[in-house]
Amino acid sequence: MFATYLQRGVAAGLVAGLGYAVYMIFVGNPLTEYVHDAGHAHDHGHGHGHDHGGHAHAVSETTMAIVSAGSAVLWAIFLGGLFAVALYLFEPALPGPEAIKPYVLAAAGFLTVSAVPWLVLPPAAPGAEHAYGIDVRLGLYVGLVAFGAITAITAVFAYNRSRQRGLGFVLSASVVPILAVVGLLALAAPTVTTHPDLSTDLVTAYQGLAVLSQAALWLLIAAAFVGLRRRGRNHSESVSQQSVGALSD
Amino acid sequence: MTTNETVRTRVELARNELTPAQILAGLAFGTAIAFTLLFVQEPLVHDSMHNFRHAAGITCH
Repeated sequence: MFATYLQRGVAAGLVAGLGYAVYMIFVGNPLTEYVHDAGHAHDHGHGHGHDHGGHAHAVSETTMAIVSAGSAVLWAIFLGGLFAVALYLFEPALPGPEAIKPYVLAAAGFLTVSAVPWLVLPPAAPGAEHAYGIDVRLGLYVGLVAFGAITAITAVFAYNRSRQRGLGFVLSASVVPILAVVGLLALAAPTVTTHPDLSTDLVTAYQGLAVLSQAALWLLIAAAFVGLRRRGRNHSESVSQQSVGALSD
Repeated sequence: MTTNETVRTRVELARNELTPAQILAGLAFGTAIAFTLLFVQEPLVHDSMHNFRHAAGITCH
């Protein structure tokens, strides 16, 4: 049973990842290149000359575009595998009917891996300046993922505990922990990432796309998983019907 | 699948189905992918994935 979950999760990740790679090729790559160059153009205007210095890349743009698209697939496969293992373990505790549970888990995954960490360490466009060094940010990220997981678990736990007490109560019990954490982090977290060379609109659009694309990725994984499971069941049903037919012949 | 399954029964089920070596192998594989995509700072690797890390909002950049 575990193998079936993992197989479907990785397959769902591959399906979602191919979609995400298309996004990376047509939106992620060109937009990132554009933002990267926009930052440079600004540099030159300030008389920094043509010294690209720390901005220069060690690999060609083509390599970068290809590896980035590949990384997009790999990332989705990784999330799909993670999703499958988590679904296998936590499915009995997740709220809703069986077809809804994967979507609840996908939302929890998005909250844990992306949304909560982003409230402190927002998605950075090229040329971003960070208040903390890479080691501090790595540590912060790991801590924030743990915090996000606790938030998601608390929300699910509150939902299960209050299930008998009416829809309004249930919704508020499960939504309040998430809103509290999101609100608290959004208000309390200091600004640690700035984009001095880019317009605010461009940064907002770039970050918005990062948020939407990751949310879409989780949704795709859950939808593909549900679809694969339905297909697998239909297939095994038809196989067992065939074998029953063969026996009665 | 029965309706009275709990997380505990799933954990037990996984323990019975999988050998410790399989669990370790799975964990090691997952860790390797996560480490490569999220944490590796080696310049060539890092720069090749530059667009992906920015566009996906990977924090450790």
